[in-house]
Amino acid sequence: MFFNLIYDCIYTDLLSIIIICFATFMGIIIASFSARYMSGSSLYSQFFSKIFQLIISISLMSTFDNFVLFLIAWSYSNYLVTRLMAHVPSWKAAQASSRLAFYNFMIGSMFIGSGFALLHYATGSMSIQYIIHCTDDSWITSIALLCLFIGAMSQSGIWPFHRWLLSSLNSPTPVSAIMHAGIINAGGFLLIRFAPLYMQHSFILSIIFVMGLTSAVLGAAYKLLQHDIKRALACSTIEQMGFMFMQFGLGFFGPALLHLCFHGFFKAYLFLNCSSSAQEKKDMTFVQNNLLAYLIAAVMSLLSGYIFASIEQIPMPCYDTNLCIIAMIMIATFQLAITLLANNIRRNLARTIITTCSMATIYAMIIFACEKMIHELNLVHPQPFNILHGIGLIILTSAFVMSNILKILQTQNNLPTWLNFWYVKTLNASQADPTTITTHRKGYDYV
Amino acid sequence: MSNTRIENLQKAWQTIAPSWPLQSLIAVNPLQGLESLPIEDAMAFAARLFEEQSFPQELTLINRLTIKWVQAFFDQGQATITMPGRTKGLYHSWKTLVCFDDQLHNNDPGTQELLRSLPKSSLDAIDFCLKKLKISSDDELLFLTLTITTLPGWAAYIKYQSDWAQDDQSPCFANLQHDYLAIRLIMMTILWPQAADIVVWHNNLESNNSDIQNRMHALAQAESDYITPVLQALTKNKMPQNNPYNAQIAFCIDVRSESLRRALETIGNYQTFGCAGFFNIPVRIENSITKTIYNSCPVLVKPEYTVQNIMTGSEKAVAENLQEYQSISRWKKVYQAIAYTFTTPFVLVDFLGAAAGLWMMLKSLAPAKAVQLKHFLIAPCRPKMTCQIAIDTISFKDQCKYAYGALQSMGLTDHFAPLILFCGHGSATQNNAFATALDCGACAGHHGGSNAQILAQILNRDDIRNYLSKQGINIPSTTTFIAGQHTTTTDQVIIYNADSYGKDVQKSIRTLQQDLNQAGKINSRARTQDLISTTSWSEQLQDPVSRSLDWAQVRPEWGLAGNAAFIIADRMVTKNINLQGRAFLHSYDYTKDTNGLILEAIMTAPMIVGQWINSQYLFSTLDNVAYGAGNKITKNITGKFGIMQGNASDLMHGLPLQSVYIDDTTAYHQMTRLTAIIHAPCISIDKIIDRHTILKNLFRHGWMHLIAIDPTHNDEQYILDRNLEWKRRSNR
Repeated sequence: MFFNLIYDCIYTDLLSIIIICFATFMGIIIASFSARYMSGSSLYSQFFSKIFQLIISISLMSTFDNFVLFLIAWSYSNYLVTRLMAHVPSWKAAQASSRLAFYNFMIGSMFIGSGFALLHYATGSMSIQYIIHCTDDSWITSIALLCLFIGAMSQSGIWPFHRWLLSSLNSPTPVSAIMHAGIINAGGFLLIRFAPLYMQHSFILSIIFVMGLTSAVLGAAYKLLQHDIKRALACSTIEQMGFMFMQFGLGFFGPALLHLCFHGFFKAYLFLNCSSSAQEKKDMTFVQNNLLAYLIAAVMSLLSGYIFASIEQIPMPCYDTNLCIIAMIMIATFQLAITLLANNIRRNLARTIITTCSMATIYAMIIFACEKMIHELNLVHPQPFNILHGIGLIILTSAFVMSNILKILQTQNNLPTWLNFWYVKTLNASQADPTTITTHRKGYDYV
Repeated sequence: MSNTRIENLQKAWQTIAPSWPLQSLIAVNPLQGLESLPIEDAMAFAARLFEEQSFPQELTLINRLTIKWVQAFFDQGQATITMPGRTKGLYHSWKTLVCFDDQLHNNDPGTQELLRSLPKSSLDAIDFCLKKLKISSDDELLFLTLTITTLPGWAAYIKYQSDWAQDDQSPCFANLQHDYLAIRLIMMTILWPQAADIVVWHNNLESNNSDIQNRMHALAQAESDYITPVLQALTKNKMPQNNPYNAQIAFCIDVRSESLRRALETIGNYQTFGCAGFFNIPVRIENSITKTIYNSCPVLVKPEYTVQNIMTGSEKAVAENLQEYQSISRWKKVYQAIAYTFTTPFVLVDFLGAAAGLWMMLKSLAPAKAVQLKHFLIAPCRPKMTCQIAIDTISFKDQCKYAYGALQSMGLTDHFAPLILFCGHGSATQNNAFATALDCGACAGHHGGSNAQILAQILNRDDIRNYLSKQGINIPSTTTFIAGQHTTTTDQVIIYNADSYGKDVQKSIRTLQQDLNQAGKINSRARTQDLISTTSWSEQLQDPVSRSLDWAQVRPEWGLAGNAAFIIADRMVTKNINLQGRAFLHSYDYTKDTNGLILEAIMTAPMIVGQWINSQYLFSTLDNVAYGAGNKITKNITGKFGIMQGNASDLMHGLPLQSVYIDDTTAYHQMTRLTAIIHAPCISIDKIIDRHTILKNLFRHGWMHLIAIDPTHNDEQYILDRNLEWKRRSNR
């Protein structure tokens, strides 16, 4: 009887398995890193007990089919993260960071709870699987989905819920790694879980796209201005989460799931390795001023777009959101080619062609292979290309062009006033919450 | 601006000691500016300046804004879009931007107007603010001091940039101190019109005298616990030895050399020397492939030459190395070009994510294997090369000067062994922001092997030896000088280009290398026990080599922790005493120094550096928040040059918690002041102290102790008291 009850509350599919594997993998890496990194800390064993609980809790969350259990596991994971953030009891700024995150997660849980309540009201069921297979386009479902989306936004640090994430860097480095690689992805997981419902509501998908785009652009702008490594990484997370939400908005729930995992690995690595940042010299002085190079790069980017489309078996010409993905790959290849051509086109031409083509092929193959693996989840539903997507593409492209122009502009001594204005406003917007900054040296403490 | 005000500004800045960037972490006494006070008074004053648990609330916002702007101004490559117009200097660039800073003016029209009409120069701005804040001339000095010391770390960095970073001094750093003060004062004028109250706040602070007394007691106790047995052992140790040595090895004075020297001497018939680890070669060293240049000499010395570290080998190998470097730097550029812009990073993450995951797993679970794999992958495109330093840029005259000076300062002027090794040192750690704090301080926080190579090359030249013999230093033709480097993290010693010497020499080098390996093992076993007994279970599985390769390791080695004494004497005086790796050893033979010049050089350079290191360890242990860098696990690197804690904070200068503490509460470093022990007549020491105010300050004010073993008085021990008078010391 009891076991039957439990059994009814659990649903395991490929998605839960991926999440469990991902959480366990990250957990093992971070725990083994912390075993040395945190040694000597007076809260050493507490730290590991929380990490362990967190992995269990996330794994359970990904398998729970019951609303209530899901919400409990969700909130408990978040609670554990806020406790990990407050690792140092006597450091007020760290406590403030933890509190800020706690309030943020509370809001998220409240929205998700209301979303669940509305769905229960509409369908009479507590089972996630039952609900997502109901075809129901009542306004109640729409509102519920919006609530879940807001919950996901707060979890993933999507603008305007990004403040807590920017202010979270008082945590020990491994905790930051867990946050940026793990818990923040729960928002993405929630949306993927409810993907079948979202895909029936293209209006909500558009909202998701717009919010994702906003975060992606703001996060990138913040990132380029940061002076310390950890906040730069946090801004980069906001940017990447924005991109993931854009993918949701475009109907690419499958690629978003891949991005979630890949970004998790990448960001965790960067956080764990951030003590080396002083040794890494940045060399961004190169400015391409040969028109021919731009022409070649344009050709290469068209070519790589074609390679990607043909490997992914996207029918050409296409009029759906696949265009957005192809465009982004073309922009990246353009940048790659420009940099590779450097200031000697004749010498570097062959290398550039080979590298860009093979990179595009490898990239397409990675995505293709991974998508094949999660094919059974049926998470890819490109949407018809609309005006919003067009505007989004224009914004992304012009931001890219703008940042390259800025690189040239900033070598000059007298900058236009609007640029100074923009600089100060963006710098101020990307500061951490005032309560989480240690302004008095003795206000910091480590025990 | 009046002269008294200029003077006040200077005096106010004196309370702050400089703090070096992460690229060359030089140890300094955080209370260096207070060394003209007796140590008790200085500590009491410093406690009120730096150790107060709270400060006026109005300073919170002022400090937050200051941190934001100086972070932006000093950034050395973290931000892609840098602070606009910062080449114009701190005050000027800030002035053009700050009128948009609503965190400061809060959209108040009056304040905005004020910010738009700020004085042209920072000195005028200081005048303007002091007048507006109604600071009385009596309070002015203290007020200015407090304006600086309420954000001590950043002020220390400003002090470094304005006073010490002469080499890469860009014009925008002119007037830095005034610029910084002007900015803080303007913010005070706007945000805290009653800022004059800060003087009242400071004067009302109670200084806890009993606390200082307790500290001094504890220090004195720890000092005598270590020094007394050493002094007792010193006198017993007088055995003349004249048999020829197999080899002579000169190490850096660093305390980590002491234990290795002791181990080596027990293994074979070796004589060891100690001298400043830059071997008297004041140079900049340039990598011929990467073109990076660094100063490889103490910060108190100006480098005189730039020498190239060049790869030697077949033309093909050199070309391949260059190619490999170029292609690595090209990929770095590509990565940065794609990572630091809009839109393209999304693709980058999908592309590299899986690889990053696997690499991270390998690095965490098997750090040593990960490093091996990296080398294995790089090896085919990077042929093994020998590095040679091209010394021909140094003029013959200066080569003579350096050679003579080096031999003189270490007292190696006769009885040359057939093989003489100069052994520099450096650390080997991964993912360590504080790596340069473990390297050779005499080489400005770099590895010292190159300097050793230069000296060995110079001394192997016949014309140099001819010159030296005219000066009375006769080096037999059978003597060969070689160079090596001691990796302090793993206790391995490598000898450079060992196969480039003659057959016989190679044979003795092999024997020496074997003995060095064995000595390294003995030493590292002793050290590992030290580390094991002190840290967590998972650390116990790690040997020193794994530690040095581990990216998660926060205590790769203990560095100079424990340092307590600076012994200037012939090795005979300290031989067979276990100094526990806590003493700097500088070789010195008073009989070869009739006019005291050598001793003067030692006391005013290496010994002072020893005192800097000692005080840095002392104060970082005393209060790791006020004078140290805090916990490594929450650190955040700003601008690629400094450490902050968490989201943003004061610049955390000093040593991190993990360098001096076993765990959050137990100190590893035993706090002591430095005790100098000199084997020389009291009279000649007196003369030297008399000539140097800095020495007078240190001894008179109790910042360090001095004990002389006077050979003219039958090797009696004398201690210098605070009146600079010698008291005979009895050992019972």
